[in-house]
Amino acid sequence: MTAGRTLGQFYPVASLLHGLDPRAKILGTAALAVGLFLVDSAAGFLLISAVVVLLVAASRIPPGTFVGFLRPVAFIVALTALFQVFFSREGELLLEWGFVQVHEGGLVRGLFLASRILLLVSTAALLTATTAPVALADGIEDLLSPLKKARFPAHELAMMITIALRFIPTLHEEAQKITRAQAARGADFSEGGPIRRARALLPVLVPLTIGAFRRADELAEAMESRGYRGDEGRTRYRELRFRTRDALVLCAAALVVFAGILL
Amino acid sequence: MRIELENVRHVYAPGTPFEVEALRGVSLAIEPEEVLGIVGGTGSGKSTLVQHLNLLLVPTSGRVLVDGADVRTIRGRELRGRVGLVFQFPEAALFAPTVEEDVAFAPRRLGLSEGEVHRRVGETLGLLGASHLAGRSPFALSGGEKRRVAIAGVLAMAPEVLVLDEPTAGLDPATREDLLGVVRALREEGTSVVMVSHDLDEVAEVADRVCVLENGEVRAVGAPEEVFYAHPTTAPSTVRVVRPLRGPHPEVGRPVRFEETLAALKGLLEGRV
Ligand SMILES: Nc1ncnc2c1ncn2[C@@H]1O[C@H](COP(=O)(O)OP(=O)(O)OP(=O)(O)O)[C@@H](O)[C@H]1O
Ligand SMILES: [Mg+2]
Repeated sequence: MTAGRTLGQFYPVASLLHGLDPRAKILGTAALAVGLFLVDSAAGFLLISAVVVLLVAASRIPPGTFVGFLRPVAFIVALTALFQVFFSREGELLLEWGFVQVHEGGLVRGLFLASRILLLVSTAALLTATTAPVALADGIEDLLSPLKKARFPAHELAMMITIALRFIPTLHEEAQKITRAQAARGADFSEGGPIRRARALLPVLVPLTIGAFRRADELAEAMESRGYRGDEGRTRYRELRFRTRDALVLCAAALVVFAGILL
Repeated sequence: MRIELENVRHVYAPGTPFEVEALRGVSLAIEPEEVLGIVGGTGSGKSTLVQHLNLLLVPTSGRVLVDGADVRTIRGRELRGRVGLVFQFPEAALFAPTVEEDVAFAPRRLGLSEGEVHRRVGETLGLLGASHLAGRSPFALSGGEKRRVAIAGVLAMAPEVLVLDEPTAGLDPATREDLLGVVRALREEGTSVVMVSHDLDEVAEVADRVCVLENGEVRAVGAPEEVFYAHPTTAPSTVRVVRPLRGPHPEVGRPVRFEETLAALKGLLEGRV
């Protein structure tokens, strides 16, 4: 259950965001993402940041936990931002130290880039944290279903996503169990150089892979024995329902994006 | 070696919606050269408890003492060689190309010489009745054979305390009986054994002491006849047969093991005929 703290995990509490239709959330997130690529002013970033902060508050996810979701990307954000700051030679020279020069343009660009990535990741994290994986896959399938006419395997894709998402925690738990079993036999995963450490993982990876194949077999059999034959004639237990509030949220997202771009 | 748990609490995923208090202040000692049976319903905290015995889990609060010293002062690696822990369904962790190499993994990690490793592998496989499997691939074995090999993989470290988490779950009666024989043999040699089990009958056969866990707390601990006769809901079939007879026939005593029970019942019948 330590997986509860990593990127892309569902955080099950009851909130306004959790109750929205997954399609509204996917489209809204996509709109914000597009907006983030087009926004080019400090005011625009401030507006979208304010909206994201409001959304996090509305999601009832504790702020500390949410910041924890972003931790995996912190390093990349810092690195790209610093790259911009030190290697861009635009605008007024602000600081000089040996061969290191910091220009105004670089600073602004670094800041924009960092905000852009962080906001993008935040919106994606909000989507996955407030939407159960199965609902997410249902939403994706529904949004892609017009493409079925062009023989795009929307259902198969959604099913694959559902199964993959469903088994991430299972495999994670399995990996932990095997790791502990090998630790009980004296395995040490932290000593030695990278090659020794990679070798030390072998006793975990081999049984994990074998277990994953066994699970895949069992799942396929279980699905077939319950009559799964793909998309045709399949009905859903959970019907998606697009309500007024979903439409309102979507309009609001579009408005924010337009405002952000115009600012 | 004596392991003592002092008021151990364990909370999984503290501070998240997944928070579970799996142990709520457990105090318990594992005495040298005893077989301690741990029983309790699913989710009562048995597996969590036993993982504290070799430092795979650290108490959220409370202490674990090994021969009087706090385990936090001992290196995990060293302790794991002295307290061998066999997980539930240990066959899920088999990984080497041959049974022999798999069993050799743990003793090799202890830094023993190749000769000594070889000797120990032969000895433990023999003890578990799996010598004939040495050259086979562990993945091509039957469930019971895999279980024997997986247990050998821990026992090859020659631990002072062997902890078995539901070692007989899903096994056939013959393999089960063999494993209980191994437990008895180890105890004769001076190894303590902690055995977690859902099967009260098998705990009754081998345990010197029994601990009943319920909801993360110790509900009862003591000699099998004390615990089982005081808690009829967690009692083996022998006790459930004898207990109602004790009212009219107190002389039947408090037998727990099958042989004792049979003798007591025979005595009762012969006395009356
Ligand atoms: N890794 C974990 N993360 C979160 N909760 C856990 C974890 N492992 C166990 N738990 C929880 O702790 C409690 C005790 O679990 P534990 O596995 O110790 O029970 P058990 O007595 O061994 O059960 P069983 O007889 O089914 O093996 C359960 O409520 C379980 O859901
Ligand atoms: Mg268990």
